[in-house]
Amino acid sequence: MGGRGRGRGNAVSFNIEQLGFGRGEAGPVSVTQPPPLFPSLENRPLPLIKDVENEYILVTQKDLSTRMRNSPFYLKKSEKINSPSYEKELPVLWNRMPAELRETLPKRIATGNSKVTLNAKKKKVEDPDKIFAKLEKKERNESEVEEDGDGKEDEDDQDKSDDEKVENEDDVKEDLDDEMDDDTDYANNYFENGEAYLEDEEGQDDGEAQF
Amino acid sequence: MEKLSAKSDPIYLGEAIVKKALAVMIQHNLVKFQASERNNNVAEYSMMHHNVYCLIRYPKYLYMIKRIYGTSEEILLEILLNLGQASASNVIFHSANRLNEANDSEVLSPSALHQSFQRLAQDNFIIRCPKLAENATLLKVPTLEIEEKEKFAVPNVEIEPIARMLKEKATQLGGHCDSEIIWRVNHERFDIELRNVILVNAAARRVDTTAGELYHLILKLWRESSNPDSPATTPVSYNVIKDAVRKNDSSPILLEHFDHYLRVLHEDSAGLIDKPGDAGGGQFNLDYSKVFENLACASLDSIVLERFGSKALRLFRLTRIQKFMEQDQMQNVAMIPAKEAKMFTYKLLEHNFLQIKELKKGTSNFAPVKSFILYHVDLPQVVRTVLEASYKGLFNAMVRQMHDLTENKRLLEKHAMLESMLERLKGDDGVPEEEIAELSDTMHPAEKSLVEKIHLMSDNLTLGQTQADETILILESYLKFKSKEL
Repeated sequence: MGGRGRGRGNAVSFNIEQLGFGRGEAGPVSVTQPPPLFPSLENRPLPLIKDVENEYILVTQKDLSTRMRNSPFYLKKSEKINSPSYEKELPVLWNRMPAELRETLPKRIATGNSKVTLNAKKKKVEDPDKIFAKLEKKERNESEVEEDGDGKEDEDDQDKSDDEKVENEDDVKEDLDDEMDDDTDYANNYFENGEAYLEDEEGQDDGEAQF
Repeated sequence: MEKLSAKSDPIYLGEAIVKKALAVMIQHNLVKFQASERNNNVAEYSMMHHNVYCLIRYPKYLYMIKRIYGTSEEILLEILLNLGQASASNVIFHSANRLNEANDSEVLSPSALHQSFQRLAQDNFIIRCPKLAENATLLKVPTLEIEEKEKFAVPNVEIEPIARMLKEKATQLGGHCDSEIIWRVNHERFDIELRNVILVNAAARRVDTTAGELYHLILKLWRESSNPDSPATTPVSYNVIKDAVRKNDSSPILLEHFDHYLRVLHEDSAGLIDKPGDAGGGQFNLDYSKVFENLACASLDSIVLERFGSKALRLFRLTRIQKFMEQDQMQNVAMIPAKEAKMFTYKLLEHNFLQIKELKKGTSNFAPVKSFILYHVDLPQVVRTVLEASYKGLFNAMVRQMHDLTENKRLLEKHAMLESMLERLKGDDGVPEEEIAELSDTMHPAEKSLVEKIHLMSDNLTLGQTQADETILILESYLKFKSKEL
């Protein structure tokens, strides 16, 4: 117990007057409940300044926020299960972004080489030159080679080597159109099978702790 | 700064959305990325706090540009703010489109816009983004780099294709020659400009508008000669100021009384101009830490005044100026009755405007221990408390505004549709009055007054946010310069 003086033992260490109230008056009221969530405002705040600058700011702010909301940058949670290539929709400078942001489909484990032999066209938006080159090649291939399978396989291989720089860890890229043709698209994507989930976890081992 | 590798919760939002969101934020300079140290193929993303905060200042930027330059520069900046990062040709193209939409009579040529763009770049309001390094396209995480001298260099822009696209009323500019040279808005420069506006307004309020003009000129001279990061500007001599005043066509009063104004600004206690030396007719500079300390104190004073009253303000100022005071001393010097003085002191203490320091008195073994209780104002601490409170206030205003708007979204949309329909009808003549009246009646007057009320409240909240932002700017600048001087 602090506050015991020495000697006489009656005096306490602080002067009762210093606390701000005399002997006769009652002490401060004890607090019985937490302070109110919105305490009453004693002094009304000053009115807002409304001059030319602030008028302009009001109008501009509304204008800017409406434009942003209507622009393609405003992302809504879409119900679409298979979103087509969004590189064309979002007016973002894609060549300055990390490659992993450019992919549109969730990573999938290589389900087997059977898919590779099919029409695995790359659906990335490539330079117009590249597209022309490809079309020309196609024309040539179609006229030269009779078998569809071989010609397209060659093309696929070439495409793959061209686009290797833009591929992710998975070498196999399934084509959306391909899935649609097979009519299995919906079923594949609808249920998020555990494979994709696990795969993500493996990838994240490389990075730092997640927040 | 937290670094996230890839995305941490794709299941909840959906991976595609997360990727898009990151891309959009990078595009708008809110998030940046770099290759992770351990694995070059993985990018780590970090958030640029200051840029996110500056989103609230965009209308102010536009106002400043409009005042300094004019409409075409204002539109250029607005387009750049909307796009985030864009090449010069793109910005010029979209601005020309926007101007043509708004103003059918005047058609601004792309070359005029190009000159406006150059003006903005010269004054460093827009800055070039780092460009892709040479082998960047091969990497999964591109490296971006830029040299100091390239930061504000405007490339040659081919006007021809732009003009052609405009004539064809195209919505997108196709490939163009400077598509690799990307620009963005330069937040630091705008911050400096906002601070300067505060200082000029302070000068104008202390003395008069001509003094404000003079101060504006001197600020420009200082900015040209000194390093923006230093806590004080390099001194500028009297003769240089005189030349500048004469060259710039200022008002005749300024030319005549320029000497007096300079002296008045110098002697004013706000510390707007400092005189470190006498060479060249007098050397004048600006000590940012002193000026912002005074401004911060003035802000705190007015906050104390509005919240607690003038008596509390007297106590607060006294304590601040006298550094350390005892309770009795305070009530005597301030001439406030004892009980009130004690009440206000306690209130200020409770809200952290005053701090306590206890000093023990030397005591003999018999007497009870006495101690001095001294009150003082620890300025950085008080400023930080008030800054937190300002942030909270700003946040509350934003949350409330969002809440109001989303709750009444349906009603507001209906109103907006109605307005646009009415406008269209008014545009074609030959629509009978009754139809218009009928259309307006589809909305009940009570609904209309509710919409009015919502708009009014939303406006007030926006204004409140803007003003809170001003206080925040002053207090943040004070803390920034205080930490620099130490």
